[in-house]
Amino acid sequence: MPPPTYRIENLVHRYNNQPVLAVDRLEIEPASIVGLVGPNGGGKSTLLKLMAFILRPTEGTILFNGAPAAPFDESVRFRVTLLTQDPYLMKRTVFNNIAYGLKVRGDQEDWTQAVHAALTMVGLDPNIFSRRQWNELSGGEAQRVALAARLVLKPRVLLLDEPTASVDAASSELIRAAALGARSEWGTTLAIASHDREWLYDVCDEVLHLFKGKPAGTGRSNMIFGPWIPEDNGRYAKLLGNGGRMTVSAPPNADATAFIDPAAIRILGKGETASSTDSVSVHGTITRLSLEKRRGDLFADVRVGPLTLVVRVVESHLAAMTLHRGWPVTIAYRPENIRWR
Amino acid sequence: MDFIFVGFIEAFSLLLGGDDQTWSAVAATIKASSGSMVASLILGVPLGFTLGYFDFPAKRQARLLVDTALALPTVFIGLVVYAFISKRGPLGEMGLLFTLPGIAIGQTILALPVVIALSATAVESMDRHLRTLLISLGANRRQLLLSSLWEVRYGVLAAGLTAYGRVMTEVGISMMVGGNIKWHTRTITTAIALETGKGMFATGIALGLVLIAIAFGVNVCLSFLRKK
Repeated sequence: MPPPTYRIENLVHRYNNQPVLAVDRLEIEPASIVGLVGPNGGGKSTLLKLMAFILRPTEGTILFNGAPAAPFDESVRFRVTLLTQDPYLMKRTVFNNIAYGLKVRGDQEDWTQAVHAALTMVGLDPNIFSRRQWNELSGGEAQRVALAARLVLKPRVLLLDEPTASVDAASSELIRAAALGARSEWGTTLAIASHDREWLYDVCDEVLHLFKGKPAGTGRSNMIFGPWIPEDNGRYAKLLGNGGRMTVSAPPNADATAFIDPAAIRILGKGETASSTDSVSVHGTITRLSLEKRRGDLFADVRVGPLTLVVRVVESHLAAMTLHRGWPVTIAYRPENIRWR
Repeated sequence: MDFIFVGFIEAFSLLLGGDDQTWSAVAATIKASSGSMVASLILGVPLGFTLGYFDFPAKRQARLLVDTALALPTVFIGLVVYAFISKRGPLGEMGLLFTLPGIAIGQTILALPVVIALSATAVESMDRHLRTLLISLGANRRQLLLSSLWEVRYGVLAAGLTAYGRVMTEVGISMMVGGNIKWHTRTITTAIALETGKGMFATGIALGLVLIAIAFGVNVCLSFLRKK
């Protein structure tokens, strides 16, 4: 059995002595797709830069294909590549930007053919774009050229840091297709940081939540930010703006972040009221139904005021009720099931 | 006012007629300034890149030193170089006083802070994503440095051009170290100073026009390079 592509152990990274990332253990299997989600400043970009061997971790080890690796090591050059959110291109033509990686690798093959194939993969016509200068491209085109510059290397690992955050829908679609194409064509391992959770849940083998520089669980999870207002009954609530409130048990502080598992929330059937075990219920609207890739579980996104909560729909409930987008529902949960960070 | 107009007319006739004295000063200027520019670019670009790219102890102090050196008066540089290369100085044996290489040494000292400071500024303004990009595409340490330098090539070119302008137009070093010797170390600027003092405006204007033409030519070359 081959070693995992990445084995990260006791990793700590600091900027100016301030810890920004701490991962006790993380393994990523070859040819898998791993998603990273979490709020800005959660450590996603730092983790990707460490995995790309652009940064050296302050503490801990990162094993690549079973062996320790560091920036500029021959074992990771040309095998691991990172695409950042900002489509930075060098001040040269599109062709030379894409061929740069082949040039520094000393590749003897036909660069023209390889560059044209990479441009085609990201949906850009090589005859039109290869001679353009770096400053003659739109934001979406520049991001696709930047991705082509990575794809031309046929990398073993492609790390994408919010690759579609600043591009239009059409470019976004092409970037996603090209990235997934790398996995299907060359068995490339993908790690993708994105705020587009639904895309990640659709395509990833595993989705890791990063919060305040630490892993905060995998899979679908609900993250609810404070502030929490104390109530008379000793509990606390988040005001939802529409007169509603989301009640929780005592948080560690007023600005703590609540995590609640989708399986810990249930949709009440018609005429059903919250039982004694579900001491809290709130009203919402179904905005999306989705099927999880690995286990085949069905999830409903329920809009509650400004929040969208993911709820796992159990089979017995599914048979008893009809669920559609736009359907009003009541959801119930136990405040005791909330975890705090 | 007539003497200025007549001066321009005579200037063109001196230049077009191939006046030996005029062209001797032009040749001396080009030789000395070319030597000093080669030396200051060879020394200044790596130093400027180091100052702008790397973090090291006393970096701020080094930057302060370089920025202060930008304002060095040419007569002070002339004085120091004169002291070093005169017969009594530590480099007196080399016979550099009143020679073009002597002027080039002084002009190198003048140009070096300009090249270092402006190259460092160009490198500091380099996009922070460039390093990530280059490592992501497989660059090793050497390729990282060379590609980063290539990315700021226009900034470095501008640094060289600015330094060239300073070197071409200085009088103090050429006068003190070169001695303004006819046919030998008389440069455009020292000749202009001398001829104007003598009331020979035509020669002064002719040499001034050559200076402007050289500056124009350098800018045309730079503009051409930018289009490439």
